[in-house]
Amino acid sequence: MQIETALLVGVMFAAATYLILHRSFVKILFGFVVLSNAANLLVLSMSGSPEGRSAPVVVDGVVAMVDPLPQALILTAIVIGFGATAYLILLLYRLFLDQGTTNAAELYSQPQERRES
Amino acid sequence: MNWTIAPILFPLLTALLALLWGRNSATRRGLVAFSALGQLAVSLWLVKLTVDEPALVMGLGAWFPRVGIVLVVDLLSAVMLSLSSIVALAVLLFGFAETPVRREHPLRLPLVQFLVMGINLSFCTGDLFNLFVAFEIMLIASYALLTLEADDWDVRQAYPYVAVNMVASALFISACGLAYGLFGTLNFADIALRAPALSGDPRLQALALLLLAVFGVKAGIFPLYYWLPNSYPTLPMPLAALYSGMLTKVGVYVLLRVFGTVLPHDLHFAHGLLAWLAGLTMVLAVIGAISRNFIRGILSFHILSQIGFMVLAIGFFTPLSFAAAIFYITHHIVVKSSLFLICGTAICLNRTDDLDRMGNLWQRVPWLGVLFLCQALSLAGLPPLSGFWGKYLILVVGLEGKHYLLVAAAIVASILTLVSMLKIWNAAFWNETTAVPVLVEDRRWVAMTGVVAVLTLLSLGIGFGAEPVFRIARVAADRALDQAGYVNAVFAHHGKGAPLPVP
Repeated sequence: MQIETALLVGVMFAAATYLILHRSFVKILFGFVVLSNAANLLVLSMSGSPEGRSAPVVVDGVVAMVDPLPQALILTAIVIGFGATAYLILLLYRLFLDQGTTNAAELYSQPQERRES
Repeated sequence: MNWTIAPILFPLLTALLALLWGRNSATRRGLVAFSALGQLAVSLWLVKLTVDEPALVMGLGAWFPRVGIVLVVDLLSAVMLSLSSIVALAVLLFGFAETPVRREHPLRLPLVQFLVMGINLSFCTGDLFNLFVAFEIMLIASYALLTLEADDWDVRQAYPYVAVNMVASALFISACGLAYGLFGTLNFADIALRAPALSGDPRLQALALLLLAVFGVKAGIFPLYYWLPNSYPTLPMPLAALYSGMLTKVGVYVLLRVFGTVLPHDLHFAHGLLAWLAGLTMVLAVIGAISRNFIRGILSFHILSQIGFMVLAIGFFTPLSFAAAIFYITHHIVVKSSLFLICGTAICLNRTDDLDRMGNLWQRVPWLGVLFLCQALSLAGLPPLSGFWGKYLILVVGLEGKHYLLVAAAIVASILTLVSMLKIWNAAFWNETTAVPVLVEDRRWVAMTGVVAVLTLLSLGIGFGAEPVFRIARVAADRALDQAGYVNAVFAHHGKGAPLPVP
């Protein structure tokens, strides 16, 4: 279980990196979504393997429980990631409206000189 | 009463009030300025308290430190809080002088308050995940401010800033998770208590390097600084001063805190890496500064070059070098913000900051020239100004540790800093081209120069009163490095929830 999760996290980080380095805004956007999910999954996996453990509800004669703290952590992280992604969507949309392109390479191909104010 | 949470509550409540108020008015401005003053008073009070006491602790929700989140203010935090309050107050007043009430964007004041709240929370927190939340508050407010009044050219510069910082956030949350997996806790004091048992464990090394990368992005260390020098110049000047003064310094503060207080002190590889990256940052960034031909661009690159000095001091990793880093941060925040504000005043007078089209400032407004000279020479490190003492201490530590190459890099960077400051001086102040108008009839510059003058007096005070300032920095450094003292102070705090046994 742990090995599979570790592999999945690795694949997700790799896929996110690949997507973010693309030119298309939509792929970049999905790259960031995958990236934040990969990070969340990594945190989640830190509660250890759930096999043979009960949900974190305390009853008499406590048995091994799943550590609930990482789940609380990613709950916060998901909300924050949601806010940041919403901002990113608007930023990319604004870039599209201003520049009339959804191609990042085209956007930054013009020289980076400061325009005349 | 426990004042630990006040530096977070002040900006939070002000931001909410200002949001509900909605419309710009002189009263709203007065309220925000009043709150900034209150925040400054509280921060100075915290400095006074923490000089005598190792650390002030507050368990949020009155939980026991190991169970809940804690806020910890020690002398280092209190000094940083005071600096952030001073800068926040100065940029607010400067903004009021620069923009008339009816032309100011109604969201600017609330967003600045949220930004300050994020900054203050990252200085106060005693918990790694809470630090992540503080960073996110700060970053999201900074994204919003970056694009709030931006035109299409500015928005294009905002994307790299947002992208790089979002990747850094993902890495930070991963680092939090890994730290939890490794230590079973995210509380700074608890990590400090448990980490020595893992001494020499490669996982601990890997975590330290991951944290180094995350905070390196925030601070702007060499391979990770690409996002900064193009995005900061697009900000309105008072905001650029706030960003340049505080945001990267939060990264430096966290490096001090995490490597000094939280992680064990035997991570020599990470410390050496920090020092070498800092050396590269200093030199490469100052070369970048010389290449630019507008004041904001030059100053933005200088932030990075100066970050190099602070991180170099952290990398040397001795009590004296930590004190030097804290002294340097104190000096740098005041000087850098006031240089950006001087640049804002110059833009107001010349209507541009393109060095080819500026001039006549020395002839028409000599006082601004005097202020610029003080701060620019202080940045370059000429005695007896404040920058000299910081650099002197760092070089002394470097020579004691026989890091001759890094010391040479620091000296080269200082000389090149002086060169680029002279570039601004020659083009903007001494250049007497008759074609360049200086709009002294636009009276806004008087109040703007007044704000800068107060900051300049403060930085002169740091230079001439270097000894008491350094004494405070020394105490702050010793406390930051004293892990046992920190742990005792935090766990002496009582609260709900039975103490869990250490596994």
